[in-house]
Amino acid sequence: MTSSATALAATPPVRRALLRSVSACALLFLATLALAPLAGSTQISLSRALDPTVPFAANTDAQIFFIARLPRVLAAALVGGALAAAGVVFQALLRNPLATPFTLGVSAGASLGAMLAITFGPAISLIGLTTVPLASFIGSIAAVAIVYALATARHRGFSTNVMLLAGVTMNAFFSALILFVQYFADMSQTMRTVRWLMGNVDVAGYGSIAAALPLFAVALAGAATLPRALNLLSLGRDQAEARGVNVLRAQQIAFISASLATGAAVSLAGPIGFVGIIVPHLLRLLVGSDHRVVLPCSLLFGGAFLVGCDLVARTILAPIELPVGIITAVIGGPFFLWLLIRRSEGRE
Amino acid sequence: MKKPYTRRFAPLGRSTKGGSRAAPKMALTVLPIILALCTASLALGQAKPSRIISLVPSVTEILFAVGAGPQVVAVSSYDHDPPEVERLPRVGALLDPDLERVLALRPDMIVIYGSQQELAQKLQAAHIGTLSYRHGGVKDVLATIDEVGRDTGHADGAATLAREMTQQLDAVRARVSGHERPRVLLLFGREPLSLRGIYASGGVGFLSDLVAIAGGDNVFADVARESVQAGAELILARKPDVIIELRADPMSSSDIARETAVWDALPAVPAVRNRRVVFLTGSEMVVPGPRIGRAAERLAGAIHPEIDR
Amino acid sequence: MLSAVDVSFAYAMGGGGRHRFARRRPRPHVDPAVPLVLEGVSLEIPAGGLVGILGPNGSGKTTLLRLLAGMLRPVSGCITLEGRDVAGMARAAIARTLAVVPQETHPAFEYSVLEMVLMGRYPHLRPLQVEGPDDLRIARDAMAMTGTAALEDRRYDTLSGGEKQRVVIASALAQSGRVLLLDEPTSSLDLNYQLEIASVISRLNEQHGTTVVLSTHDLNLAASICRTIALLREGRIVASGPTRDVLTPDNIRAVYGVDADVTMHERAGHLSVVPIRLSAPVSGRTPSAGRLVGRDVSPAERS
Repeated sequence: MTSSATALAATPPVRRALLRSVSACALLFLATLALAPLAGSTQISLSRALDPTVPFAANTDAQIFFIARLPRVLAAALVGGALAAAGVVFQALLRNPLATPFTLGVSAGASLGAMLAITFGPAISLIGLTTVPLASFIGSIAAVAIVYALATARHRGFSTNVMLLAGVTMNAFFSALILFVQYFADMSQTMRTVRWLMGNVDVAGYGSIAAALPLFAVALAGAATLPRALNLLSLGRDQAEARGVNVLRAQQIAFISASLATGAAVSLAGPIGFVGIIVPHLLRLLVGSDHRVVLPCSLLFGGAFLVGCDLVARTILAPIELPVGIITAVIGGPFFLWLLIRRSEGRE
Repeated sequence: MKKPYTRRFAPLGRSTKGGSRAAPKMALTVLPIILALCTASLALGQAKPSRIISLVPSVTEILFAVGAGPQVVAVSSYDHDPPEVERLPRVGALLDPDLERVLALRPDMIVIYGSQQELAQKLQAAHIGTLSYRHGGVKDVLATIDEVGRDTGHADGAATLAREMTQQLDAVRARVSGHERPRVLLLFGREPLSLRGIYASGGVGFLSDLVAIAGGDNVFADVARESVQAGAELILARKPDVIIELRADPMSSSDIARETAVWDALPAVPAVRNRRVVFLTGSEMVVPGPRIGRAAERLAGAIHPEIDR
Repeated sequence: MLSAVDVSFAYAMGGGGRHRFARRRPRPHVDPAVPLVLEGVSLEIPAGGLVGILGPNGSGKTTLLRLLAGMLRPVSGCITLEGRDVAGMARAAIARTLAVVPQETHPAFEYSVLEMVLMGRYPHLRPLQVEGPDDLRIARDAMAMTGTAALEDRRYDTLSGGEKQRVVIASALAQSGRVLLLDEPTSSLDLNYQLEIASVISRLNEQHGTTVVLSTHDLNLAASICRTIALLREGRIVASGPTRDVLTPDNIRAVYGVDADVTMHERAGHLSVVPIRLSAPVSGRTPSAGRLVGRDVSPAERS
């Protein structure tokens, strides 16, 4: 045995993985963030955009770069990272690799809020958020609160089964309400809602990002305490408890942080599907199932992934811009099918 | 289904004054007349429906403008013009036509959208005539007026209307000719108080045609679609000199001020820099019907404020 | 080492609502009409002991095991671990001394064997700390003790039933070498794996001094490796003490309603229980009998 092989064998797998995988994902994330604002449907000159001698108000290239592109790249990075991380957490919480951030009704509540705002809402602007993002956030919180209340009723701690049922019921219930509201909506309002449902990261300015940032920060702070507990929870509740995990608290933090991240992401950019399930699965295939590696890697990779999808969405049919949700679906659908086939083959 | 103009015929051979020899003679004179009237009424019966339902607001306006107003018995959920429709029953619209209500009203002609295939089939099965409407440019509006006039027996009214509208449009063209054509961004939808979800007119359709008539250059004239979802980058890249926002509902002056201020996020756009963001409200701006002449006039006023009326 | 002192328990229907973020479970609120799952149970497990908890389904075996592990809090009485009341100990502190091996472990995701075993080290890590070379060494020692060293890089879900259970035991060992609680360790295994696990448990206890408590409904398993046995029926201890004193035809009839032969099997080297037929149904509650007074029983005395 060579000395390097012995040295490798003496390092626990998680340390190697953390070093290798997390730094690789971080590199990918930073590279994507740096390169994406440079590309777009219009040719711009970066030197002119960054030229301080040209007054900003007259500098089209600078405005395209700083007002049109940079915010949407940042928004895509935040939303993609949040949805991917929330997907990881929900999958561990529900002990089901097929769970998505939308399984528990968060997105249905957000969609109802958005539709109500579009159909009946006054035009208001509060802390950088306009009616639709505000209403969709409130809607998502309402759905989360109902599911949480149902899952923790009877003071038996957290019942993941009840949570799952409650979430699925919320999805169905809110979807029905959305159809009901549609009857009061006129054509343009219906079209606006449909378009919102397809997802859009073109935030045109930093206001909404700034408003959503504290929510993401709180969610991240909560999720950062979880990876070890998630590993143990995936073995089973009793096993986790027997290894010193405060199961109730871990489940609460997991549920709240993942729901908060999802609610903020959906309010900012609409319900963008597939990110929350492709990225965790892909990463598990690449780096293993240790959540201490999977969670940070999903966060970074998810951000890079959505930035990439948005780049494709805004350049592939220029000047027409596709909704980013279509790109994630086109990539995600076949990937998901392949995953299911692979899993069922593995079972046999 | 009872045809309104079909005549009921008395059986031949009923005894008339003049005895039995008069009957065959009468039959000989009356028969051809009756036959002629039959054919004529069959033809006329198709040509002049008396119970019309319209699911398309722009065609509703056209129906009233050509003189077929009294024949209209029901309209869509979204009809508001002309004022007479407010007291008419509603039967749904593009996404949710209420077939039961429609049939209960016993129409003999229905105006539907071209995309409502299934509905068309059902109506055919019920032997109700349909007029299929397809969205298009100004030419198509005039063609629809013509078709409506023919189908409802108001060909004269249609011709008059078409002539008046063409005169209006030509007058606008004449007024703006010779003036420099500014680049125009024409929007018909966006999220309130933000620049998200902007829908602009593409190079196809009546809005694009009206911009051209009103002396402007649509910034999206090269896009072969009716609508373009325009992001901030695209608007900055196209550099419109004038931004015109169309709204169906009226706006208060404080609304206008707040919504105009939203554009200050993009000061590099010439229209924003030169304070040429205009809001035009009213259904005439968004309905491709009889009032597009007026719409063109208002657009010309916004695009060329320097021209005196 | 580990003891239950006059413990009673019932699954509560309410209470605890305001203590969601409390560090320990509060005492459950018990409605007097709710029947007790365990009543007046006292059990003392000496260091190095190998104790079996037996009884029919519903007798409270698993509940007792969970109480001993500190996962449940008794309605009355207390559980002590190395002299300290378990209710006052932090979960991680308990976990560093005492490890639990459940009947089956089905991870929701695919982990390698080494990852599974290393999870046993988590109670020993500080909040943001990651395993180090020492933890790796301990994990590998645990795998050697359970004969799973060669499986280190295999995926857990590709293993056989016996291998899986040995890996879980290795993980528990990596967590704590002092006390091991096993819940029905061989119930879901084939005969060969049953023997395998039984010998692993036995070896751990004899060679490494691990205190072992296992709950099982397999009388012969208990007879083969346990030196002391506590027999439960309807939440009370019916008999406890050295195996040969507890596994008697009378006790078996009283608890299981079965006439059985209990004989010393020369070749196997331990008692063997053979059920013959059902006896008359047992009625009434049997009074709890005796405490298990702790004394280290040597292997020679087992049979």
